[in-house]
Amino acid sequence: MEIDRADGRNPNQLRPPACSLNVLHRAHGSASWSQGDTKVLAAVYGPKAGTKKNENPEKACIEVIWKPKTGQIGKAEKEFEMILKRTLQSICILTINPNTTTSIIIQVVHDDGALLPCAINAACAALVDAGIPMKHLAVAICCCLAESGYVLLDPTKLEEQKMKAFAYLVFPNSILSVLPEGSSLVQGEPMDHGIITSVTHGAMSVDDYFHCLERGRAASAKLSDFLRSLPSQLPGDISKAV
Amino acid sequence: MGLPNASEDLSAEMEVDAFRRLFPLRYFERHLSESIRPDARPLGRARDTTISLGAVASADGSALAKIGSTTMLAAIKMEVMTPSLESPDEGCVSIDFHMPPICSPIVRPGRPAEAAPVVAKQLSDTILSSGMINLKELSLVSGKAAWMAYLDIYCLDADGALFDAALLSAVAAFSHLQIPVVSLDYDGKIVMVTEEQKEENLENQPVNKDKRKLTLSSIPFSLTCILHKNYILADPTAEEESIMETLVTLVLDSSCQLVSLYKPGGPVLAYTSAVQDCIALTRQRVKELQDILDEAISGMEID
Amino acid sequence: MAELFLFEKQTQQNLKKDRMAAKPATTSTTYSPIDPIHKTRPPIFSNSDVDWLRPDSRSFHQCRPAFFRTGAVNSAAGSAYAEFGNTKVIVSVFGPRESKKAMMYSDIGRLNCNVSYTTFATPVRGQGSDHKEFSSMLHKALEGAIILETFPKTTVDVFALVLESGGSDLPVVISCASVALADAGIMMYDLVASVSVSCLGKNLLIDPVSEEESSQDGSLMIACMPSRYEVTQLTVTGEWSTPNFNEAMQLCLDASAKLGKIMRSCLKEAASDVQE
Repeated sequence: MEIDRADGRNPNQLRPPACSLNVLHRAHGSASWSQGDTKVLAAVYGPKAGTKKNENPEKACIEVIWKPKTGQIGKAEKEFEMILKRTLQSICILTINPNTTTSIIIQVVHDDGALLPCAINAACAALVDAGIPMKHLAVAICCCLAESGYVLLDPTKLEEQKMKAFAYLVFPNSILSVLPEGSSLVQGEPMDHGIITSVTHGAMSVDDYFHCLERGRAASAKLSDFLRSLPSQLPGDISKAV
Repeated sequence: MGLPNASEDLSAEMEVDAFRRLFPLRYFERHLSESIRPDARPLGRARDTTISLGAVASADGSALAKIGSTTMLAAIKMEVMTPSLESPDEGCVSIDFHMPPICSPIVRPGRPAEAAPVVAKQLSDTILSSGMINLKELSLVSGKAAWMAYLDIYCLDADGALFDAALLSAVAAFSHLQIPVVSLDYDGKIVMVTEEQKEENLENQPVNKDKRKLTLSSIPFSLTCILHKNYILADPTAEEESIMETLVTLVLDSSCQLVSLYKPGGPVLAYTSAVQDCIALTRQRVKELQDILDEAISGMEID
Repeated sequence: MAELFLFEKQTQQNLKKDRMAAKPATTSTTYSPIDPIHKTRPPIFSNSDVDWLRPDSRSFHQCRPAFFRTGAVNSAAGSAYAEFGNTKVIVSVFGPRESKKAMMYSDIGRLNCNVSYTTFATPVRGQGSDHKEFSSMLHKALEGAIILETFPKTTVDVFALVLESGGSDLPVVISCASVALADAGIMMYDLVASVSVSCLGKNLLIDPVSEEESSQDGSLMIACMPSRYEVTQLTVTGEWSTPNFNEAMQLCLDASAKLGKIMRSCLKEAASDVQE
């Protein structure tokens, strides 16, 4: 089943990701992440003293502020903020800095499809840059399901509009995978097969969802490697990132 | 009943209560290890669910849904709009979710709850992408006038699984909705046809002859589960949601298509087997909810 | 009588004028198909004014059947639901709880009230916003009945949501709020029962519905503590003659006493249910 994509990619091919760390000087950590024409800037401030109201004072608090390219934030952006916040909360070790708040500001530079996964990847890279203690990294990916049942990865805006359903999936980039290949497959399901976050739009059959899951997992390995290689790209900043 | 005995009972109760407040997680885990929950439910069982249709007389369609003590009131008001150029034969549905200060001690007036816009977005995504409503049925005069259905859902009591209850009330309100009889007046405006006018045999032809209902295809139903260690808890209460933070919300329609699988983060990772278990629980729940809705609708027809 | 008819004509003309003026200014993209002229015409004037019927065929001095239920909202400290005809209201009480940080120290407790409407409460879809005027009136009506000294430094929040507006909304909110306060165990001198009367020409209509309220000449609302025979709030608007005013007050007080009994029996029932 061959499908032509406008940019000549095959269905499983991601747009080449690009990332630079420490792009902002006032922020404690920052990253700019782009996949094709989708580009997001993430800045991390903190940990700062005190937690927000109604937050647990025994744990670190994470706050996400979403800045759209233009205009004011609406319901969609509020939802993105909530998903990002919950996702980042689950990868950060919150008990190390109790009663502090870490703010993550996401600035959308350009949206050309797969915006939320791109923002999650950017936030993750910015947290690394800021040296926030984390259990593991997270890798986000967008899988699209077309009318005829084939799966496309990392769609552009144009492709996103033509699809019948899509799923944003976030997988852990496990520490185990640093070890030689094979040792991470301890059980039937290795740790990096678990889903941190899943958001879907549009109706699909359950089998299609698992199909997306499989493709997403396979492709996330490449992104994981890219994310892991980031700190070494900036020789001067290694101490900060570790 | 002897007096010393009674006081002893009370002291034992106090201790359990104190334990519950001081060590909520351990309190729950003790229960979970016995495959039971503090409200005496098995892990996979949802709370008692009721639907009553037509709760609001001033709306064109309304329903009150209760899951445990979580209560949602949904009402639809029909207004007329000019359809867009791209889809001249389609009406529109606008969905909003409100959490007024009466529903929970956390919500204060003037400061809307953080959860409200998120649930509103989820609801409109789910309802519109499920294809339950055929927007063509909301058309009145092609290119000139179409119905705009304003669906407002109010949370009257928040005790966990807000999305599930909100979706149930929304679906029930749509199945109760009666589209009013209207006619086109001389100014090209759509006006309501009242009972007395109908008898007068007015000169304006009504645009739609009788009150009619929407045909709803593939109705979506949802179930929220908590993942905690290896346990899966269906339909959590607010207390459970605050203690165990990993929530998965599944929406399946009546033909068992997956409309949404929503897991916003959470410390527990969802593996394939857990997802499959959740889907199985949701399938069961869809049947239950379908029966409850059918019963509510047939109850209305008898009246 | 002639004056009455004149008044009716004027209101109709005004309405027509309003509608025409409003027409070019409509900027909203949707509109309700309900005809405003048709909706607001008082049906009670259709015959001679001697034997007209009220829209729900009550007699002038007859209240709508009142229904109260406590414990409508589990997550609140106390709550009540009230239904008077089509007027449906839920009130939740939270607290006594910590006052806002910005508040100064206070020897006595504070009362915080908020009344809001749902978007579908009125025949034409509204904004569902807070009702500032009713919020402060509710505060004034309850303030005198609550023993604020029993919860120093803290705040009791009384939040009301009008699910459906069918007339006499504020009196229903006030009565319902006092039942909710009792359900929450807040100390009060007495329950507060509230009733309103509309004046149409020389006639007095107790517990008016929306249609009657929209065509009234004057209105009077009393909130009182029936067993102490004390008034916590009295609001009068519009034109009143002295004998009419006296009669209306007496009507309200009598009705409040009866309403108080209904509220009391609702609370008693709830308490006996718990004991069982």
